[in-house]
Amino acid sequence: MATDQEIDIAVRVELYRQLVTTGVTPSASDVGAGLGLSTEAATAAFARLGAGRAIVLEPGDPSRVRMANPFSAIPTPFVVTAGRRRFWGNCIWDSLGIPACLDVDATIACSCGDCGEPMTVEVRDGRVEGAGIIHFGVPALHWWDNIIDT
Amino acid sequence: MLLFRDEEHAANWRRTKGVAQDGTMSLETGWRLAQLWYADKREPGWRRRTLEEAEAVFAELGLIDDFWRLRPAT
Repeated sequence: MATDQEIDIAVRVELYRQLVTTGVTPSASDVGAGLGLSTEAATAAFARLGAGRAIVLEPGDPSRVRMANPFSAIPTPFVVTAGRRRFWGNCIWDSLGIPACLDVDATIACSCGDCGEPMTVEVRDGRVEGAGIIHFGVPALHWWDNIIDT
Repeated sequence: MLLFRDEEHAANWRRTKGVAQDGTMSLETGWRLAQLWYADKREPGWRRRTLEEAEAVFAELGLIDDFWRLRPAT
C-alpha cells in the first residue's frame, strides 16, 4: 500500500504532466483518473501538497489548484508561449520559470507594471533576451503571507 | 513580481503604490533565479527547499540584502 508521501509525489508529477500536455491545470478528479485514484484521495493529496507549499490551492475549493508554480491555472498578464503550448505565469519570475521548468525556448508577452506598454521577453538556447528590469515589491520573508497576491 | 521598462518606471510604480522596500534585478539574474528555482519542479525527487537552501540560492545570485532575508530579525 502506498504511503501518503508516495501518493503525493505521484499526484504532483501527474498534475504537472497533465498541465504541460494539455495546457490546462487539472482538477483532483482529473489527476485521480490519471492515476487510478479516487477524487477523494487525490483531493487529500492536493491538501497535503498545498500545506507543504508545493502548490497553491484555489481558495475555498481544495479540489482545484490556483498555482502549480511556475504555472497559473487562471489567466494572468503574463502569457508564456513555450513549444506548442501557451501558459500563464503567476509573475515575471514564474514566467521565466516556465521555460526553465520545461527546458524549452519561450516567448513571454507582458507589459510594463507602470505604464502598461507591451513588453516581450524571449528565452532562446538557454539565454534570456529582452529589455526591462524585474521588480519584487514584497520582501522575501513575506511572500507566503498572501502568495496569490504576491 | 513585475517587469518594468526601467528603474524610473519601477520608482514611479513604488510611489503610486506606496511601496517602501523593494528588490530589483536584471532579466539575466531573474532568468538564473528561475532556472535554479524551477528546473526540477516536475521531477519526482523535487522537494521544497529548506531555508538554508533557499538562502544559498539567493546568495549565489548576490541577493543578500535585507529584502531577501527569509528569517525574522532577531
